Amino acid sequence: MADRTILHIDGVSKAFGGVQALYRVGFRVAKGHIQAVIGPNGAGKTTLFNVITGATCPDEGRIVLEGMEIQGRPMHELVARGIARTFQNVELFASLTVLENVLVGRHVRTRCGLVGAMVRWPWVEREERGARDAAMELLGFVGLEEVAHKMSGDLPFGWQRLVEIARALASDPRLLLLDEPAAGLNAVETAALADLIQKIRSRGITVVLVEHDMNLTMDISDRIVVLDRGRKLAEGTPREIQADEAVMEAYLGRKG
Amino acid sequence: MTGKRRLWATTAFAGAIAVASMAVSNAYHQQLLTVIGIHTLLALGLNMLMGYAGQISLGHAAFYGLGAYGTGILTTHYGWSPWAAFPLVLVAAGAVAYVIGRPTLKLSGYYLAMGTLGLGIIGHVIFREWDSMTGGASGMVGIPPLQVGGTVLSLGRSGMILVWVVVLMAFFFCDRLVDSRIGRALRALGDSQGAAAACGVDTGRLKAVIFSFSAVLTALAGFLYAHLVGFISPSSFDFLMSIRMVTMVVIGGMASIYGSLFGASVITLLPEWLHVFSDYEMMVYGLVLMLVMIFLPQGLTRGVLDALEGVKSES
Repeated sequence: MADRTILHIDGVSKAFGGVQALYRVGFRVAKGHIQAVIGPNGAGKTTLFNVITGATCPDEGRIVLEGMEIQGRPMHELVARGIARTFQNVELFASLTVLENVLVGRHVRTRCGLVGAMVRWPWVEREERGARDAAMELLGFVGLEEVAHKMSGDLPFGWQRLVEIARALASDPRLLLLDEPAAGLNAVETAALADLIQKIRSRGITVVLVEHDMNLTMDISDRIVVLDRGRKLAEGTPREIQADEAVMEAYLGRKG
Repeated sequence: MTGKRRLWATTAFAGAIAVASMAVSNAYHQQLLTVIGIHTLLALGLNMLMGYAGQISLGHAAFYGLGAYGTGILTTHYGWSPWAAFPLVLVAAGAVAYVIGRPTLKLSGYYLAMGTLGLGIIGHVIFREWDSMTGGASGMVGIPPLQVGGTVLSLGRSGMILVWVVVLMAFFFCDRLVDSRIGRALRALGDSQGAAAACGVDTGRLKAVIFSFSAVLTALAGFLYAHLVGFISPSSFDFLMSIRMVTMVVIGGMASIYGSLFGASVITLLPEWLHVFSDYEMMVYGLVLMLVMIFLPQGLTRGVLDALEGVKSES
């Protein structure tokens, strides 16, 4: 089992002042799985996300990506190592076009520096063309090829979310973290998103998502981790989670 | 801008420079155009930092002064040729900016403004107080003019052409830079530092790199100024100069390369036309900054274009 683990969260704690956002949380994410992290508000989901992506450093515990400890490493290094993320509130670059947004996602897979950008050596031109082809392919993958040259801020919210996913995929991640990808989407868009996440998995990318939408998580997840007040409450397949009484009480029950 | 449009814009601009260099024969106008060109370089340099990467600097006059005093000291005290001083001065400006920028640009907002303000003040104090090198408050005289072949490039037609050819090249390269991997990362950084970092942009390093690039352009303007005017004094590189630079960027429009030309022209010409300004220059800049930020936050160029568009669509 160990060799199939892509991400190992090992006893991670994080406190903010007196608030224990995470307390000795641990679980493994298997390669090629879609893994959901759920929990009521304030359960520590966002903190967990930030700890994995390098936005915050855990107080204790280890985060192991493919055998390498990564806690406390700078974000750009983690992206280069194969972790990409999206944001709950969609953070596109509003002054860039859709295509340019995706190209920024390609940053860690390209090399051109300040001087190269001005001189435009032949290899820079080649690299740029390659990046544009890759970005267009990804826009096609999420179904937004025809709006490539629009300003990203002009797109409807649901499409912006897709652009953000394309941007994250542009860094050729092995692990994609989605922060509430269904938030703000209608039922049709959510169904399309579920398909897209499964298509992403079939590209060989492991997906971890933090989600409120129970239908989405139950439908597509291989495994689910439930957090409550900073602790891991339960872990298992969707069926096991639905049968778990503690989870029902803490989370599903409250949702009615 | 796409490659084709860039080529057209550059060609048109080169044409305009060629026509102007032949048509303008009045010495005063030539001087004015030279100053506008130097100011355009300043505005462009700061715009790369402020407009694109979204990082303010209220101390860029220090790099302007570094370019001017650097070459002034090397050529007059040590007898260097200006062309030997040229690369050294630019590299020094870039290196100083990188070393200072790396820690300073960890700050943001007001704190960055205060930090860079301090940098500008330190620069000014050094220019004014290091008597043995800079000549102190009375400045340096006798900085030799630039020479190409046997031609002396002095304030007048030759100097004007030199400055504008440099501006043309700076526009061309900055435009390319903006439309590149680095340029996209810069604009991403300006929009959202968190999202840029999440895309794998090493934001700390990139900010220092663009600060350094911006300082090199600014020092280049200082180099040209020193050799064309032949005389420099600390008052040209004080806090007011830094504010003037910020005003040029704001008026011309953030993140607008050709806007830098417009902003520089307005800030150079206004005091020439309205001599009453001289005593109240700072107040007028403050007022202009406030009005532009309130009514035309994208700068006059963009703002006026948008307003025209609005009128057109209404009629």
